[in-house]
Amino acid sequence: MGINDTSTPYRVLIVDDDSDMIALLSTWLKGSGFSVITATSGDEALTRLGMSRPHCVLTDLYMEGMDGMTLLSRIHATNPLMPVIMLSGQAGIPEAMKAMHLGIAAFLTKPVEKETLLANVSRALRLSSDISEARPKFGAGIIYRSTAMAELLEKAELVADSDITVFISGQTGTGKEVLAKAIHEASPRRDKPFIGVNCGAIPEQLLESELFGHERGAFTGALTRHEGLLQAANGGTLFLDEIGDMPLGLQVKLLRVLQDFEVRPVGSTRSVPVNVRVISATHQDLAEAVKRGEFREDLYYRLNVVPLHMPSLAERREDIPALLDYFLDRVAQKRNAKKKRFSPEALEYLLSAPWPGNVRQLMNVVELCTTLTKTDIIPLSMAKSALREEPAGIQTLKVAKDAFERNYLIGVLRITNGHVANAARIAGRNRTEFYKLLAQHHLNAAEFRKGGAAGADEPEPGDDGVAEDAADEQRDA
Amino acid sequence: MVQVTVDRDLEDLIPGFLANRQRDIEKVEAMLARDDFDGVRITGHSMKGSGGGYGFPFITEIGAGLERAAIARDADSIRNAISELRHYLAQVEIVYR
Repeated sequence: MGINDTSTPYRVLIVDDDSDMIALLSTWLKGSGFSVITATSGDEALTRLGMSRPHCVLTDLYMEGMDGMTLLSRIHATNPLMPVIMLSGQAGIPEAMKAMHLGIAAFLTKPVEKETLLANVSRALRLSSDISEARPKFGAGIIYRSTAMAELLEKAELVADSDITVFISGQTGTGKEVLAKAIHEASPRRDKPFIGVNCGAIPEQLLESELFGHERGAFTGALTRHEGLLQAANGGTLFLDEIGDMPLGLQVKLLRVLQDFEVRPVGSTRSVPVNVRVISATHQDLAEAVKRGEFREDLYYRLNVVPLHMPSLAERREDIPALLDYFLDRVAQKRNAKKKRFSPEALEYLLSAPWPGNVRQLMNVVELCTTLTKTDIIPLSMAKSALREEPAGIQTLKVAKDAFERNYLIGVLRITNGHVANAARIAGRNRTEFYKLLAQHHLNAAEFRKGGAAGADEPEPGDDGVAEDAADEQRDA
Repeated sequence: MVQVTVDRDLEDLIPGFLANRQRDIEKVEAMLARDDFDGVRITGHSMKGSGGGYGFPFITEIGAGLERAAIARDADSIRNAISELRHYLAQVEIVYR
């Protein structure tokens, strides 16, 4: 149980007009070290709240007089951070959604099992900001209230403090990289690099060099040695996103690294020892990819030691209000503006939307709504319009192209250690064009050089820069 | 005899719980006599919610049945449910673990 390992037990207020339920829940909670206060009505509960200051409230939904929903609203009007767990013999969707909108910590169906109840009370107390933690909370940057996410983070926290290989599955936009970072931050490797790479965003030739590094002269344009991300992440964590897109040829190389803890750069005859924790992720069904022969079975089992699954936003709808609130807050801070909020009708609409683009889509919708709404309250019409504009988090062609181009430029700059002439050569562009591309994407080649401007990017003999650009321009004319 | 295994933690609560179920039988019969189907529904709903937690899933089933029958204003089904509950309470034997 753990949560009550303190000298002062946490107090739970049980509210139910059924004396048998009060007796049962009290016995369970007291048996687990909680202190219990009881009330047989909403009015009595409000009185007890003022007198006894519980840490959590457990209330029945249907009671004579004030029902659980009204009690929840009254509690949160004065104490919005009080975790309230609702119990109901009828888990109707409208009631559950309304309760989510009002910010319940959990919605449990009667008859409830002891373990389920205790797990949810413990979780609610952990989430409550009334509890001070001696150490940073795992996944502190992850916004959630749902049981699905709480269970996922509990599992992730257990494996964080080891070197065990983790595989994260989940739809696009669910936050797989966020989870990977949280695992890294909670691991003994937290002071070492966390490096992420999207295996689907980089062309195969570049990906091999990007991951494994290359020797000088390994291929046309490889005028300097490049360390590669596996070596760059030494001691830390390498996050391989969209691992399902990794070509079969590279999968063999990666498997060897995971088995032998050595990496052999492209064009090298030597292997270099590496100590890297690999976390991989994909939206694909990798088991199916193995069956189709598109992914190696031995690599699949090597990566899939601890599988974690990020639920889709539709599977954790109770997190939507908190996520919307978080992004609304973030936008307001970024723009140094007053925080906007959604109208109740807009919020209900967003709560029941399909969200195929998940959290990323939700973030985009908030950005769109806050940009286009001039008032403080975002109306239903704007929410509907934003969801139509951002139907699945599908980017426009231009946005998708820009993202690919940026990733590509970053890739060639890394490989060439920020040497623009070499990077331009690999990209098949003259230097002037290449500089223009860098400027468009707000990229600075100097940031990719090791040891600063006096490092390995010193112009090669005969690399006249200006003359070369002129020659390129003449040729292209 | 119907044997039911219950958590030892709940040993002190069981006599009171079962006594309340006896009282529920009498309450429902009185409600039925005056066509108080809403009262029967509420009683069934409570029984449904608590039975399983105490270790009596059968009581949860009876409660759910009472609730459904009350919504349908089906007096015969309500009487059958009460009869089953009476029979069950008469022969249930508790084993604590």
